[in-house]
Amino acid sequence: MKKLLIALGVIALLGVIAVSYVVGIYNGLVNSQQAVDAQWAQVQNVYQRRADLIPNLVNTVAGAANFEKSTLTEITEARASVGKVTLDASKAPADAAQLAEFEKAQGKLSSALSRLLVVSERYPDLKATGNFAALQSQLEGSENRIAVERGRFNEAALAYNASIKRVPAVFFAGVFGFNERPYFAAAASAQTPPEVKFDFGKTTK
Amino acid sequence: MLLAVALALLAPIALRAAASVPPAPAAYFNDYAGFVSSGVARTLDARLAQFERDTSSQILVAIFPRLPAGAALEDYTVRTAQAWGAGRKGRDNGAVLFVFVADRALRIEVGYGLEGRLTDAISHAIIENELKPRLRAGRPAEALDAAVNAMIAASTGEYRGTGRTVADDKRGIAGGRPGGFNLVAVFWLGVALLILLSQFRRNHTYLNQNPRRRSRHDHTPWWGGGSGGGGGWSGGGGFSGGGGSFGGGGASGKW
Repeated sequence: MKKLLIALGVIALLGVIAVSYVVGIYNGLVNSQQAVDAQWAQVQNVYQRRADLIPNLVNTVAGAANFEKSTLTEITEARASVGKVTLDASKAPADAAQLAEFEKAQGKLSSALSRLLVVSERYPDLKATGNFAALQSQLEGSENRIAVERGRFNEAALAYNASIKRVPAVFFAGVFGFNERPYFAAAASAQTPPEVKFDFGKTTK
Repeated sequence: MLLAVALALLAPIALRAAASVPPAPAAYFNDYAGFVSSGVARTLDARLAQFERDTSSQILVAIFPRLPAGAALEDYTVRTAQAWGAGRKGRDNGAVLFVFVADRALRIEVGYGLEGRLTDAISHAIIENELKPRLRAGRPAEALDAAVNAMIAASTGEYRGTGRTVADDKRGIAGGRPGGFNLVAVFWLGVALLILLSQFRRNHTYLNQNPRRRSRHDHTPWWGGGSGGGGGWSGGGGFSGGGGSFGGGGASGKW
């Protein structure tokens, strides 16, 4: 009788240890998932910051004498399509396709903006205005913030994805709904060297 | 097989080496390249230390001979600033001016909490108007003096200081931080009382035999936390990061 009680006690103790072990791992997973979501909010934040700059930028540039209309239209359209891809800001996307769509829209805006800056080189009067210089530095700052926060998002997602695949966690991560989170990919254009075209003679439309 | 294992073991080390940042500095103004005279460095260091006492914001200057091979300017500086932790934790009110002499590269890295004051546009203007002309004219001391003043002027007003730096707090000058310190003191007082009590019960002549020990336990909390206290107000107390965070705000330039 006494032996049975001792055996039961040992089993109960082992059970408590096992449960607290699993609880510890579960809480660890929750923490790293929260870190991914928090970092995602940061990413949205910096993209929003860039989007907010655009009306001001377009207004300033449109004020310059006969500025290329096509560049401005392109930017306005790209910004509108960015607004259409709405993702939950409080939760990192679980679906790689969703993130890819978001990236594609933002990438279009990035290339439209860089084209605007290139085109603006041809307008010395515009470049000389303090307003444009300030906007340009803000735009550069926004791009840099985006790069930083995307990098940190990937780091957080990497840590989380690794934690759900490590050995004790991998057995029950799926059961508790911890699924892999997609990463930001490097822009496809970043892997191919930029194409340099010299089209002398037809610089302005 | 062995080679594969060795490579797998080495890979993380190689990654870490690529991502390595310089160790946190012990001063506000750090000239690792012998760019300005030590007198100028001391003056600016004292000014930046005083600025932290006044506003709690930490502004650093770091002058390196060159960028490490293969490092991208903005990536390297944001990781360095983040690792150094300029600015208070939670306020993120730090900023670092980086100068890479051989690359003629400049970068102002601004912590989250100062982005509203030391904006990208203002950082850009500091680089363009204060730093570049003077550096091109070969007057680095003036350039850095003007840049430090401009950064201080732009960052003033957002936060109020405590009259102490993080380094001062760490040395335990003037009682350290009130909240945490008192809790710890109360805890140790409790422990001390318990020990005394148990020993008293076991042998009540103990206290009479060791009067000095008793008085020490009784007085511990009123002394100020055991770390011995520093030498009071000494001008250059040195820099100690407060744990501020950086998100890539600021501006870059080349002269």
